[in-house]
Amino acid sequence: MSISQSLSGAPEPSKSKIGLSNGAIARIFTVPGQVVSVLVLVVPLLVALYMSFTDWSPTRGALFDASFIGFENYSELLIWDTRFTYAVIRTFLISVICLSLEFVFGLGLAVLFLRKFRGKSLLFSAFLTPMMILPVVVGYIFWMLFQSNGPINQVIEFVLGADATIQWFRSATAAIFAVIVTEVWHWTPLFFLILLSGLNAVPENPIRAAVILGANPRQVFWRVVMPMLKPVIIVAFVIRSMEIIKLFDEVFMLTRGGPGSSTETISLYIYKLAFNDFQLAYGAAAAFLVLIGSLLLVHLLLAPVRDQLLEVDR
Amino acid sequence: MFEKKLSPLQTIIMAVALIVVLFPVFWILMTAIKPPTDWNASPAIWIPSEPTFVNFQTLFDPDALGEYGVGGVSQPATKAVFGSILASVVSTALSVLIGLFSAIGISRYGNGSKLTPLIILSGRMFPPAAIAVPFVIMFSNVGLIDSYIGLIAIYVAVTTPFSTWMLKSFVDDLPREIEEAAMIDGRSKLAAHLTVTIPLIKGGLFATTMFIFILNWSEFMFALVLSYSNVSTIPVQLAKYVTATAGTLYGVQAALAVLAMAPLVIVGYLIQSHLARGMTFGAIKQ
Repeated sequence: MSISQSLSGAPEPSKSKIGLSNGAIARIFTVPGQVVSVLVLVVPLLVALYMSFTDWSPTRGALFDASFIGFENYSELLIWDTRFTYAVIRTFLISVICLSLEFVFGLGLAVLFLRKFRGKSLLFSAFLTPMMILPVVVGYIFWMLFQSNGPINQVIEFVLGADATIQWFRSATAAIFAVIVTEVWHWTPLFFLILLSGLNAVPENPIRAAVILGANPRQVFWRVVMPMLKPVIIVAFVIRSMEIIKLFDEVFMLTRGGPGSSTETISLYIYKLAFNDFQLAYGAAAAFLVLIGSLLLVHLLLAPVRDQLLEVDR
Repeated sequence: MFEKKLSPLQTIIMAVALIVVLFPVFWILMTAIKPPTDWNASPAIWIPSEPTFVNFQTLFDPDALGEYGVGGVSQPATKAVFGSILASVVSTALSVLIGLFSAIGISRYGNGSKLTPLIILSGRMFPPAAIAVPFVIMFSNVGLIDSYIGLIAIYVAVTTPFSTWMLKSFVDDLPREIEEAAMIDGRSKLAAHLTVTIPLIKGGLFATTMFIFILNWSEFMFALVLSYSNVSTIPVQLAKYVTATAGTLYGVQAALAVLAMAPLVIVGYLIQSHLARGMTFGAIKQ
């Protein structure tokens, strides 16, 4: 557990044998990485930023021929484009629901793994399996499972004892439900993994002390263990928020955003704008709004615990 | 309090969770070995009565399904498999190499800026759909669209922050004194790192390489928007099979899906103990 370690501990400047300062060596070693990030991340971002203030589309010829239209794309998105607004709200709701469920299931499973039982390491591997499968394949698997003659409907029929031919991808609610089930199945193991490593790192002395002072197991868990687990929980939430806000692969395979645009996420909407409708400039503006939004979100998430996160070490 | 055994209720919960976790994997494996008559049966068949590998054969020989009287796939997956291997292996190697030097640079000589990880993390949040837009424009101007060089360049750029940060966490674990001893012995800093630092973190280097391979092998959207006819990867091919033949070629699609996930599951189990570190940019070690 050490974001702290990676962040602190600047070495004292000193001269090397061949007379290079540490700073110079740091720069030389990191040059390739910096070149790559500038060439392949910063430059495209700047191009996209410029583009978002124009009305460019591939039919208009070269990028620099496009006319500058100021904030028109942005105001269109923020004020008039309800499809964008809905995609943002939908992505946000899917994220909140998925992350809550993943946290609850992951924590529950991690707590069970603190107990003793046979075959623990084998089961541990088994429970990690979903997160090792690529998102496209996960989407494809659940697309099969949710077919109207698929196994999920069969299980529902078995439980209800009645015919159930739910057309999962024909109704907005059912399709969103399918997306959430898929996402939760795929990423609960990550919460499980992170929370379990956090739980295993909780020192025993405070727990012993609490027990001696007469705390019952419930109190020990909520008043002693959970507060110490907080930084780890935040890390899990931050990492997962960053990923789920980009949700694309699974939804692409499951529903392509349908029926209609009822399961369209932000990424899927931008993808469709840019690569189906060729409104590249407009798509770039949407992307920047999303970037600003998610930057704010993650920094908000990090803010209350940043100091704590930076000091906690194992 | 943590040393108790599972209660019967907890055992049941665990068993149910295990079934939920493994059932989808079971389903894709079973579908991949179903003969065409079982693919879309209603009600669905759980375990094929006559398992077959014809679906896997069809991926490389589109006519293999002929004996069942079913038309094959429109295009074999050979190119996609080749493309996936080429793009993932090359970009993983480059990403880890660049990341290794950055990691040593930052860990040993960096100024310890607290901002860097936040900037890198922020970079990860930008939706790929958005980065893809300028890439497509720039690449189509310089002829890199629909080329493996273009795809590899993006993969390297996207995964280098991961390899840098994961490797840095391994270098941080290593006591500085070991390298300093080598430097006092008269070796240059570069030689000390090549002969001391790198061999000592080889476990971490392997884990990082495997982790970056997982990221590259799984990547979908960039491959989707940058590939037309020359370039293909397994995820793109899988999506294409679904579009082109929705609902008719379940078994073949499932076979390709199994082919796509098999290496990752194996690699994933191999580096299981480092997965948390990779997924959290080295924030969680263990």
